[in-house]
Amino acid sequence: MKRTTFSRRDLLIGSSALAVGGALSTRVVSAAPPASAVTPELIAAAKKEGQVVWYTSIDLKLSERIGKAFEAKYPGVACKVERSGAERLLQRISQEYSANVHAVDVVNSSDASLLVYWKDQDMLAPYVPEDVVKLYPAEHKDADGTFASFRVFLCVIAYNTNLVKKEEAPKSFADLLDPKWKGKIVKAHPGYSGTIMTATYQMSRDIGWGYFEKLAQQNIMQVQSAADPPKKIALGERAVMADGVEYLIFAERESGQPVEPVYATEGTPLIIGPNGLFKAAPNPNAARLFQSFCFTPECQQLCIDVGGLRSVHPQTKEHAGRTPLSQIKLMKDDAAAVLKHGEEIKARYVKIFHV
Amino acid sequence: MASVELRSLTKRYGDATVVDDISLTIAHGHLVCLLGPSGCGKTTTLRLIAGFVEPSAGEIRVGDKLISSPASTLPPERRNMSMIFQSYALWPHMTVTENIVYGLKLRKFARDIIAKKLDAILATTRLAALAQRYPGELSGGQQQRVALARALIVEPETLLLDEPLSNLDANLREEMRFEVRRLHDAYRYTTVYVTHDQSEALTTADLIAVMNAGKIEQAGSPEEIYNRPHSEFVARFIGSSNVIKGKALDNARIDFAGSPLLCVGEPMTAGKPTPVSIRPHDIGISTGKPSQSENVVPATVVRQVFLGDRRDYMVEAGDGTQLRVVTEADENIPRGSAVWLHLPPDRCRALAG
Amino acid sequence: MTAVSSAPATPRHAGFDMSKPVLLAFAAVLCALIVLPLSWLVYYAFTDKKGVFTLANFPRLVTDTAYFDPLLTTFALAISAAVICCAVAAPMGWLVGRTDMPLRRTVRLLVTASFVTPPFIGAIAWELLAAPNSGLLNQLFRDLTGADAGTHLFNIYSFAGLVFVMSCYTFPYVFVLVANALDRMPSDLEDASAILGAKTSYTAWRVTIPLALPALVAGALVAFLEAMTQFGTPAILAMPAGFHTMTTKIWSLFQFPAKPELAAAASLPLLILTVILLRAQHMVLGRRSYAVVGGKNSEPRLIRLGGYKWLALALSMLVLMCPVFLPYFALLNASFSKLASHLVSFNNFTLQNIRFVFSELSATQIAIKNTFVLGILAATFGTILAVVIGYVTARQAVIGHRVLGFLASAPLAIPGIVLGVGLFFSYMRPPFVLYGTLWILLIAFVTLAMPAAYQQLQSAFRAVHPELEDASRILGATRLRSLWQITAPLLRTSVIATWCFIFVGVVRELSAAIMLFTSQTKVLSVLIYDLNESGDLAAIAVLGVFMLIITSAVVIIANSLPVFGARRAA
Repeated sequence: MKRTTFSRRDLLIGSSALAVGGALSTRVVSAAPPASAVTPELIAAAKKEGQVVWYTSIDLKLSERIGKAFEAKYPGVACKVERSGAERLLQRISQEYSANVHAVDVVNSSDASLLVYWKDQDMLAPYVPEDVVKLYPAEHKDADGTFASFRVFLCVIAYNTNLVKKEEAPKSFADLLDPKWKGKIVKAHPGYSGTIMTATYQMSRDIGWGYFEKLAQQNIMQVQSAADPPKKIALGERAVMADGVEYLIFAERESGQPVEPVYATEGTPLIIGPNGLFKAAPNPNAARLFQSFCFTPECQQLCIDVGGLRSVHPQTKEHAGRTPLSQIKLMKDDAAAVLKHGEEIKARYVKIFHV
Repeated sequence: MASVELRSLTKRYGDATVVDDISLTIAHGHLVCLLGPSGCGKTTTLRLIAGFVEPSAGEIRVGDKLISSPASTLPPERRNMSMIFQSYALWPHMTVTENIVYGLKLRKFARDIIAKKLDAILATTRLAALAQRYPGELSGGQQQRVALARALIVEPETLLLDEPLSNLDANLREEMRFEVRRLHDAYRYTTVYVTHDQSEALTTADLIAVMNAGKIEQAGSPEEIYNRPHSEFVARFIGSSNVIKGKALDNARIDFAGSPLLCVGEPMTAGKPTPVSIRPHDIGISTGKPSQSENVVPATVVRQVFLGDRRDYMVEAGDGTQLRVVTEADENIPRGSAVWLHLPPDRCRALAG
Repeated sequence: MTAVSSAPATPRHAGFDMSKPVLLAFAAVLCALIVLPLSWLVYYAFTDKKGVFTLANFPRLVTDTAYFDPLLTTFALAISAAVICCAVAAPMGWLVGRTDMPLRRTVRLLVTASFVTPPFIGAIAWELLAAPNSGLLNQLFRDLTGADAGTHLFNIYSFAGLVFVMSCYTFPYVFVLVANALDRMPSDLEDASAILGAKTSYTAWRVTIPLALPALVAGALVAFLEAMTQFGTPAILAMPAGFHTMTTKIWSLFQFPAKPELAAAASLPLLILTVILLRAQHMVLGRRSYAVVGGKNSEPRLIRLGGYKWLALALSMLVLMCPVFLPYFALLNASFSKLASHLVSFNNFTLQNIRFVFSELSATQIAIKNTFVLGILAATFGTILAVVIGYVTARQAVIGHRVLGFLASAPLAIPGIVLGVGLFFSYMRPPFVLYGTLWILLIAFVTLAMPAAYQQLQSAFRAVHPELEDASRILGATRLRSLWQITAPLLRTSVIATWCFIFVGVVRELSAAIMLFTSQTKVLSVLIYDLNESGDLAAIAVLGVFMLIITSAVVIIANSLPVFGARRAA
């Protein structure tokens, strides 16, 4: 009886075995596929399909804006956004595929390791938009063309400026462990959020698990999605967020809410959110059209201006008022390692924080 | 034409045997009454005949057709019978007319035929003025007539009545007793009538089956049951009766308060205590010694009640036995008086034990 | 009197009596609905990953605190909620059913409103009200007392907060049962006590309450079970407080990588506990029938409260603040406010939230459509199924009707999320691949609604004298026909009530839906849950208010439509 349990470890073992026997495998493509342009035929085929279904963990308002921008550029092709935490997206897609339900066309996840995983499962279709081939740096696109970094952002500390004066604000993760912040911190959960999963991996590697163990003594308010803490501190429910998505902090600050990000002295986790196409996509042409759209300068600029995201598209401009990436100390991302240690990280976190 | 036959019919619920080996033939066109106290099994028997209950043993046949047996039971809707329930079971959300024509509509009669039959039955049961009313607006007697109309309009082979008069007041009940018999004589259906009221049974029935504890104690015509009861139970149940218990002196006499009493009925065994029944209005009572020589017993008047058309005496014989005596109203013997009782031998019925 | 001339006719039948096969078909459907997911559950609980039989899943439940703590928490939660519900609902039921407190009908209506509110919406609304720092009530408290920014009066993110919100939305069950029982109690019983010289309170204590006790026990049980098996409210309030209940724990076991065998094993204790409690209730209540017999409608004589009646009304309204007034206010406020923690004022007013939900959020339209379609289908099919099964058991029409009665009530023992899991496993592989369609959601909703619908219709059947159907049958109608023409019209109000009940239940169902939905089959409750995950409180508030309007509208409309002909019952 086939079970729906997929263990990451099993898969990693499987794929490394393949790497060893690489010569016999037909999966690894030696060269990236050629760039695909957006042709009138593609547009017509997409219009015939009528819609593209995009599973994403980007904050709802932004993801809906991107969808609407796509619909405005290509009338006749609707964009159906399914927003859910990255880990929940994984669960959804696994559940659906195990029952042979193919509902998703394009997926965007803040947990880059998931794209690696899906690629290993041979679920992704290679497709490389022109922009990606020509302009994107190598570390932000998959060698086999199955995904590329759609969005880049940081997982930051932040605080409510009405409740915390600038001088008193924490400047590092170590500052958060000060007893004066007890009961005042909100934080998200790696079991639900890909962002936090990635951040937790990077922080456990660079700072160590001791930090988390001490943080658990601070009576933190535990929420699920990394998009929640920025909202909670804007509401004034807590004064400080220990982690959360930077782009929402920007969005709120720029609409007048009293929040301010902090780039910890130990380093700020870097989150890559790639976009990938599924092989079994129900609307393949619309999917391709959408993927191409995502990597155009207009879309990327939209992400920056409206969404507060960062982009690795060289033709985009950083937004004024935000500290440029080059000036921030970043932690290094490592999707393969997250894939390998994901289960462990979740289990250890649950043990420490009890939920 | 079909008669209804019950053969060794039995119904058990768990350990309790509610209907115990009943055999009865209901001749076609006759009105048979199942009479007995509550709990005797008469309603269950009726429901067995209707097909709502399946027998544990035995059979029910209509004509030659087997309709009930432990192996298979024809459902009620296929039996071509009609039933009037104790609660009348009139459907509250339908008018009187709709209630009545329900059965005809099921039989898919043409509309004009239905209308004709409806008018006829409304006339017979005197309900024409109430045709559009709802059951909730009718009195008990009117409801009962609607139930009757509904049952009769479909012209069933067999008509079943489950204590149809018990919800009516005394006057109406008397009137309706005659009405039921009249309608039966007019339509001549085979009718099974269940009641605990002996006057109903005596008024309406061709054949009375007296039931007790699941068995038929005695089945016969009203006169037979009344005049020649076989057992103490039947004697007490039909008409009021005194039952004297005395030791048999020989095969036709018992000893009563020191005097021998000559009886008719079951032959007796000398030495055995035998019950003898005599109806209260058959006993002669007088202050002076009567002319008869046999069956004369002295007694004292213990109680006397004036009932308008008669007087009801309670007298006590020498051995303490109390007897009820009913006489004409004009003979007024006061309490405490010493009297003589005459018990005519042909009215003293010796019963089975 | 001439005998009628035309020959008597026997009733003609269409050859074959459909009653028995139809009844058996319905019984088979019921079995499939209930037995299939349960058997998958048992299978997963007792096997390991390779499919080999094992008992190893169970010891972990007791030894591992990660599982044992939620079990204790759930138990404590359920008991606390049940006790509070009884303590609040019983006196209110007495006040509404037995006394001359003013505005009784309004109070009844408001309790119904709190019943119609999905509990998770209530939880979110209470987040808006009583979150320690941003909650509106806490802000008010700080403004009034001048306290520091860190203090708060209420903290909804706590065990007490969870118990409170749970009780708010389960007390209607107890209230309805108690109020109905008191409605039907003839006042002669209390009159007898009064005539012997007893004061109102003495009579209430010695006569009324013991007579209402069975209803109270039944209500307490329902409250207990409801609190034990709810998913939405704990999912929203428990995690920020740092603890799990059994339902949220089971849900977390389906995070990637899924551990279905542990989830199944964790579900079994809940199941067994429920069965035990239901059995106990049956023994306590015995075979009492709650149906009105004989149709005598003596109006109960109302107890005069005198001066106390205003106090009683005030207290009732105070109670109703918690499930109704305050939360609805918070939701309306958040719908129109730029920031949910601020009160709507002239410069804080916006329609952007509404615009976002209905024109920008792409999932809204499909969720609304799905919810309506499923609500109507589930209510219709579920009512028909419950009517037939209720008939079969009330009239003992087929062999094994007792088993059917048990099956119809069995889903009460299955937590929604557990049923969702069972259904997922049952219908994700051939020959019945229903996962990904609306059908699997339909099955889940009908199954979950079955116990309450069945109970309601069963007691309605008992109020209809069986002789009414017998009279129809002896005249030649089959069982089914009698059911349709005689019994069903007489059950009209109960049938409509059941339909509405199932419809409302579908709209507020989250626990099973969260396991079974896909992007095309999303429903409103899941959409709201998703929005809560990402903290979009304003959008939730708009959808919540929308949900309330819809369910209220449906209930009102359904109750004024003359269905089954506008015949009056005598």
